[in-house]
Amino acid sequence: MHYLQFVIDGLLLGGVYAAVGIGFALVWGIMNVVNLAHGALIMLGAYVTFWLYRLAGVDPLLSIPISMAVLFVLGWLIQRVLINQVIRAPLLVTFLMTFGLELMIVDLALNFFSADNRSVQSFYSGARWEFAGITIPQVHLYTLLIALALAAAMQLFLTRTTIGNAIQATSMDLDAARLVGIRIGRVYALTFALGAAAAGAAGSLISLNYAISPGAGEFYTPIAFVVCVLGGLGTINGALIGGLVFGVVQSLSQAFIGPAYQNAIAFGLLVLVLLLRPSGILGKAT
Amino acid sequence: MRTFLGLAGFTLLLAACGGAATPAASSPPASSPAASPSAAGSAAAKPAASAAASAPASAKPAAGASAPAAGNFDGTLLIGAPVSLTGDNNNEGKLTQQGYDLWAEVSNSKGGVNVGGKHYQIQLKYYDDQSKQDQSALITEKLISQDHVQFLLSPYATAPTFAASAISEKAKMLMVDSNGAANSIFDRGFKYVFGVLSPGTKYLTGVEDAWLAQDPKPTKLAMVAANDAFSLEVAKAAHDYATQKSLQVVYDQSYPPDTKDLSSSLNQIKAAGADVLLGSGHLTDSLLLMKQVKSLGVSFKGIGLSVGPSTPEFSNALGKDAQGIFSGVQWVPEQKSTGPVLGSAQDYTQAFQKKYNALPEYHSADGAAAGLALQLAIEKAGTLDMDKVRDTLAALSVDAFFGHIQFDSRGLNVDKPMVEIQLQGADNKQVPVWPDTAATGKILWPLPA
Repeated sequence: MHYLQFVIDGLLLGGVYAAVGIGFALVWGIMNVVNLAHGALIMLGAYVTFWLYRLAGVDPLLSIPISMAVLFVLGWLIQRVLINQVIRAPLLVTFLMTFGLELMIVDLALNFFSADNRSVQSFYSGARWEFAGITIPQVHLYTLLIALALAAAMQLFLTRTTIGNAIQATSMDLDAARLVGIRIGRVYALTFALGAAAAGAAGSLISLNYAISPGAGEFYTPIAFVVCVLGGLGTINGALIGGLVFGVVQSLSQAFIGPAYQNAIAFGLLVLVLLLRPSGILGKAT
Repeated sequence: MRTFLGLAGFTLLLAACGGAATPAASSPPASSPAASPSAAGSAAAKPAASAAASAPASAKPAAGASAPAAGNFDGTLLIGAPVSLTGDNNNEGKLTQQGYDLWAEVSNSKGGVNVGGKHYQIQLKYYDDQSKQDQSALITEKLISQDHVQFLLSPYATAPTFAASAISEKAKMLMVDSNGAANSIFDRGFKYVFGVLSPGTKYLTGVEDAWLAQDPKPTKLAMVAANDAFSLEVAKAAHDYATQKSLQVVYDQSYPPDTKDLSSSLNQIKAAGADVLLGSGHLTDSLLLMKQVKSLGVSFKGIGLSVGPSTPEFSNALGKDAQGIFSGVQWVPEQKSTGPVLGSAQDYTQAFQKKYNALPEYHSADGAAAGLALQLAIEKAGTLDMDKVRDTLAALSVDAFFGHIQFDSRGLNVDKPMVEIQLQGADNKQVPVWPDTAATGKILWPLPA
């Protein structure tokens, strides 16, 4: 048994965390909204995958675009109808708004989906690759690869397309952006919709890895927060790095110190990073 | 920036803790069909809102009373219980309540509680504790001081029962515990709490017994446990028992709640060459463990879990991956036991099916058995005097549909063995396989790799 297995376990786990962090980072970075409903959106994405699988037999991986599309539309609506009304208000208001939204979504899900734990099974659920004593479960590897692809796609979209540039411009200087004709309301709606779509993808991946229930999302909002702070506030790359680092630290501490301490150590790392490098691993030192 | 982070942390904390109380759901009508007996997941109903105690659920006069109502207490015996109708444990909470209701209904139809020749109609008073122990304690206080209940039945699960029984003990009010299995409830020297179920320490030792009787014998045991009091207690007892039976424990670790990954632990277990695995945790933990055992390709001769396999949710979620898993249950409909009021295990099963249109499982049987134990103690004492009933209950030794009920000096029903089940066949049928008095099928051993 060598270290490499545990590092790989951690990277694979980090894939889940990175996927969770990406949408959260986008919304935070561009709109300066800490979206406390992120976990609930993830949960909805997971249920899209679950119901497609249960009712139509759609493979969990193939359902990712669908859950992204569903969550994109939902995110767009949430932004236009709710958050745009309070986007100018102090941060606390969007905080409370998204917090309330989270409670509402979870309770509705409890009502419609019941509190039962559900799970999807695919033909590759138990499949794995083994070589040189290293085991790599296929599902975990797909999760990591999709998280990487998601981060790359988001990054490319933001830097290489006109709309992406408009989104970035808005986050850099709101007034200047408005002066050059960018329609802020639409940019925000698009940003939030993209964030929600990323949450949808994360949810689909989570349903592939774990059992889900309406409350399953609430674990992920703090994770998204930690991952973003760890990697560097509000950037896609930061979320990716933060997620992977968090996963590896958890895995190594589980293996060498014992699973009972994995959270204490992983969150201890967060405290350390905040003390020594307040803008995150990738953040510019200030 | 710092204030902002503090604020963020605070709000996240709020989100994590789930704010305060949910407005109480009133208890469902007694005639409502049974919810499928499945354990709730981690899904907590968690609106913020008032921290005030829940609104009263409507007190439910037990149906089907035909007994002559006489006696100096307007003919009714008022028994209270906090029950988890919402929150994490809402499924098990409702099942517990169904057991209480069924006992009251059957008992009332047979003349109620006979106290020295006077017949008392059983009336149950419930409030929803939202699966929270502080609510359970508050409700217990309210049941005693405002509703003036005469006796108490327990809420669902260890933590609420632990909290609620501290209140009832202070008031010297008898509480019969149906579903709080941890020894910690009984290790406080309390005089007024008695538990009818087999204690937590027996949850996995029966699985070990069943395994050790197989050929080839298991030699190396690995264990993982959630680090809450009950799961640790179950794990420790299983660990000690294994050592005593010369089953070598090669891995024993606990993990925090909400763990999303046990890959590293499982890879270590694999490397240690364990051939049997015991997991002591909650349903979500059991599901995680099984999913990762499967995806990492760690194979065992046998896998036993303290919680999960006895719920339909477990086999629904895992499908064929649930096959062959062992677990201990308090009671099975097939077991050969019989006694007063509720008759045999099969009579109970019939009555339950008639009332709830579902097969009974052990959470509801625990509930009915708790009510039954209380009734038998009152009838034997021939009085409603608290201390006399308490002393009679402490000395009670009776066979019932539930198995033998007799308490040790702490109030634990230590002699009742668990029934070990194994999920078998394409539909993951729960087959009782151990001990022989309850077994209806053969053990599948070893599990196919």
